[in-house]
Amino acid sequence: MDEITQAPTRIVGGSASRLDAAAKVTGQARYADDLSFPGMLYVKVIRSDRPHARVTALDLSRVEAHPQVVCVVTPGDIPGENVVPIIYRDMPLLAEGRVRYVGEPLALLAARTPEAAEEAARLARVTYEDLPAVLDPLEAIREGAPQVAVPQAAEAGNIFNHMVIRKGDVGQGFSQADVVVEGEYRVGYQEHAYLEPQGVIAVPEEGGMAIYGTLQCPYYVQNAVAAVLGLPLSKVRVVQTATGGGFGGKEDVPSQLAALAAVVAAKSGRPTKLVYDRAEDIISTSKRHPGVIRYRTGAKRDGTLVAVEVEFYYNAGAYQTLSSAVLWRGLVHAPGPYRIPNVKVDAYSVATNTVPCGAFRGFGSPQVIFAHESQMDELANRLGMDPLELRKKNALREGDETATGQRLTESVGLLAAIERARELSDWENLRREAEEFNRRERFRRRGVGVSTVMYGVGMGAKAPLLDKAGAYVKLEADGSVTVAVGNTEMGQGAITVLGQIAAEALGVRLSDVQLAPVDTSRVPDSGPTVASRTTTVAGAAVLDAASQLRARVEAAAREFFGSQRVEIADGKVWPKDRPRDAKPLSEVARWMWAHNWDLGATGWAQGAPVDWDPKTGQGNAYFVYAYACHIAEVEVDLLTGETHVTRFWAVHDSGKIVNPALARGQVAGGIAQGIGYALMEELRSEDGRIVAPSFTGYHIPTAMDVPGQYVIEFVEAPYSGGPYGAKGLGEVPLMAAHAAVANALSRATGGRLREYPAIPERVLGLVRGER
Amino acid sequence: MRKTGPARIVRPRDLSEAVRLVAEGGRPLAGGTDLFVRLRREVEDPPFLVYLGELPELQGIELREDGAVVGAAVTHAKLLRSEVAERLPILRLALSTIGAPAIREMGTLAGNVANASPAGDGLIPLYLLEARVLLAGPQGERELPVEEFVLGPGKTALKEGEIIRSLFLPFPEGEPRSYFRKVGRRRALLIAVASLGGLVWLQDGVVEQARLALGSVAPTVLRPREVEQELVGKPLDPQVLAPLAEKLSQLVQPITDLRASASYRREVAGKLLLDLAVSLAG
Repeated sequence: MDEITQAPTRIVGGSASRLDAAAKVTGQARYADDLSFPGMLYVKVIRSDRPHARVTALDLSRVEAHPQVVCVVTPGDIPGENVVPIIYRDMPLLAEGRVRYVGEPLALLAARTPEAAEEAARLARVTYEDLPAVLDPLEAIREGAPQVAVPQAAEAGNIFNHMVIRKGDVGQGFSQADVVVEGEYRVGYQEHAYLEPQGVIAVPEEGGMAIYGTLQCPYYVQNAVAAVLGLPLSKVRVVQTATGGGFGGKEDVPSQLAALAAVVAAKSGRPTKLVYDRAEDIISTSKRHPGVIRYRTGAKRDGTLVAVEVEFYYNAGAYQTLSSAVLWRGLVHAPGPYRIPNVKVDAYSVATNTVPCGAFRGFGSPQVIFAHESQMDELANRLGMDPLELRKKNALREGDETATGQRLTESVGLLAAIERARELSDWENLRREAEEFNRRERFRRRGVGVSTVMYGVGMGAKAPLLDKAGAYVKLEADGSVTVAVGNTEMGQGAITVLGQIAAEALGVRLSDVQLAPVDTSRVPDSGPTVASRTTTVAGAAVLDAASQLRARVEAAAREFFGSQRVEIADGKVWPKDRPRDAKPLSEVARWMWAHNWDLGATGWAQGAPVDWDPKTGQGNAYFVYAYACHIAEVEVDLLTGETHVTRFWAVHDSGKIVNPALARGQVAGGIAQGIGYALMEELRSEDGRIVAPSFTGYHIPTAMDVPGQYVIEFVEAPYSGGPYGAKGLGEVPLMAAHAAVANALSRATGGRLREYPAIPERVLGLVRGER
Repeated sequence: MRKTGPARIVRPRDLSEAVRLVAEGGRPLAGGTDLFVRLRREVEDPPFLVYLGELPELQGIELREDGAVVGAAVTHAKLLRSEVAERLPILRLALSTIGAPAIREMGTLAGNVANASPAGDGLIPLYLLEARVLLAGPQGERELPVEEFVLGPGKTALKEGEIIRSLFLPFPEGEPRSYFRKVGRRRALLIAVASLGGLVWLQDGVVEQARLALGSVAPTVLRPREVEQELVGKPLDPQVLAPLAEKLSQLVQPITDLRASASYRREVAGKLLLDLAVSLAG
């Protein structure tokens, strides 16, 4: 693919408008809750209201007696397995005899109206015998703690997984260190706050089941529904509806919703809709793992890192769901984007009696990034070094070895990103300005903070079996083009970017390209839409299909024109030596159709090989990495502890940027989400119950809370394995943003933030010098 | 849990019908920005709602020599666009922090008063201006100072069948400087963790007269009159005012809830006085 990487492009690299813009702006896009089917029933989940209990009686007689209730489902009604299969199979679809968290599904009902379904659900009488509950991961691993984890799914007690990195000898490393910094960092939940809550509709059809829903991973859903219905995969069809945001929250959770709706549809024989309102969504669906993270970092006097030791615990919730994968990404990303000869990491995911946590943009990395980037700043303070210089000094370069022993052979744009961020922000001057501001102002302080991150693109060595993608590209007889992939548009711009790749490769206009609706019975499996992999992996599959098809179109055009060489661009075809004879591609397509040419092509791509030794945590963890450097300026009010991010600079290396406008949107959104994570987002629980599950209680940033001035740029270090040199971007902006904000805030207060979120009360503590 | 059945909404023709319907147990509805949240949370379950939002008698803003009469159905946004907001900077400062634009287009200032939340941003300027609340009820009309109208969190002096007809906002004499600051973890769509409003008359660099109103730190918006008195004759210098800030902290009776602890609210209530000093001194 090297040639393609270097070739000039027409459409790839241009800021085309989103292909879905008109439908979304005009309200034509149909979301799950917009759909209705004849005879459709409304499903309501009867949930546990105890964190840990034996269910001694489940009396649904009054529910069944409700005049509007058509169907009630208990575990005995599940035709297949009572399981939500994700990575493990420990989570039942409906709890049987024992509940492990508040909100766990116990039974289902379907009624003729949503109001009746609500009303009927309250008529359920559940008798519990409470069991001791454990809500904190550090308590859950103590001897004698109540057993939460299903034993078959846990390595030991409540430890779902313990994963390690062992590189060099940290004991020796620290003995060589001139300076050692140490800290414990804590983070709580982060809620996805996607615009559209979870929702699915299950529709029985021809001996099988169709699922319509807001989701990221249609093939996960297909698998889960087939399991609970005891159906072959071919009898389950999953159709993605317009999806109002995912951020990882619609990676595994839609499998649960779809399976719940499907068992009711199977029993009642009628279409069933299950759509959560915001409160039910917040209470019962995945979030970012809370964690306790302990770091020790050692460096030489000149700032050279010699050793890092990390131990961290993530609160997984009651069932495994995606926690093992989340933990693994956290593990690999814990050392940060630095050259460190001696590394020891111990990562634990722990079962507690709380709602299962799952995927959220960054997937286990933001927690450890908060810690490693705080450590870098603490180190810079101790060494009296410029924090940006310290990062630059230790930044991974091409040819370096990562903490997992992976040799980086290409596409390492970290130094370029740091350099560009320094230039754009006028770093030295920026820091000076903050100092001047602080001398001038009585009750306000400004601080400037930096963060650098790396991100392993794709599933990595934890799940290489998922890093593959199929694509189908079809030239229609009129010259328009249909592209089919199993990856989903959830607002991130995937269909536009994939369309651009197809248009570029085929030589058509983007307006000629249409992405097929995602329906598992009609589009190739291109793996889950997660891990910032779609542009890189599915994009490569689209490129493969489009390149094959282009070769065929060129062959046909040579025949059509009777010419040895032909050119195709912008939807026109011409003999190379006779550009005046150019014809619209539609004429050639019509001719191909009329002469029985095959107009469709199937493409395939898979990630470059990865490998992993779980005993040492050494191996080629990911096929390539993306990098970023963020700089934030934060203002703190010393009287109230209120904060505001005043200016921001973000520079990313995600290889070739296919659509700069969409990429900038990804980065701007990530900055906002990172500000929320660092400064305001907090979901409180009491006795295992999430209190105030609403956007009145859970604060996400508004348009007033993002910086008035921000600069976003890309340094492109092309990747030979990606289409046109592209790597992944989606998750990286959030990962970098919060840490830059946290460092800027710490600098402004003169304290050191060790716990998110930095709500005014906590900031005032930092100002006072409390730890 | 969400509200399951839609509440019945009745639309009276005129004020007297509205009063009669409210006397029958109907719950007055204007912008609904607070009421609908309560209905949804099932905090209350009225038999029916009486929609006052378009009642002719409750519309309009009337400018008089000594103040403005604001109809009970006038929205925050309408007030912000009116001449009253120009005449009363304190009103503009406070109302422009309420919710977000969509909420300000729906919610009414009189509704803010009826809701009687100690966090009601609209109440702060009314306490500072010493506004009066004009009520209409089965026994006719009566008028109360806003401080006597609001009795506690969600509690008002409204008698059975009474509704707010209008608010009277007196124009303060002279040229006071206006201050409003609301504290919380974000800059919009925020229920104040603590707030302070002030009208300060300065003469030769020292305070001639001051009115202060604190939000979210007591069961109702609080006028700390002792501190107001002690401000008189002092310069707006944070160092000089530090003991008064301390005193202000001691005066308040905050609670701990999800948004903040009582001790934080107490501390910030006092410190806002220092912010007022710095902001108004210029």
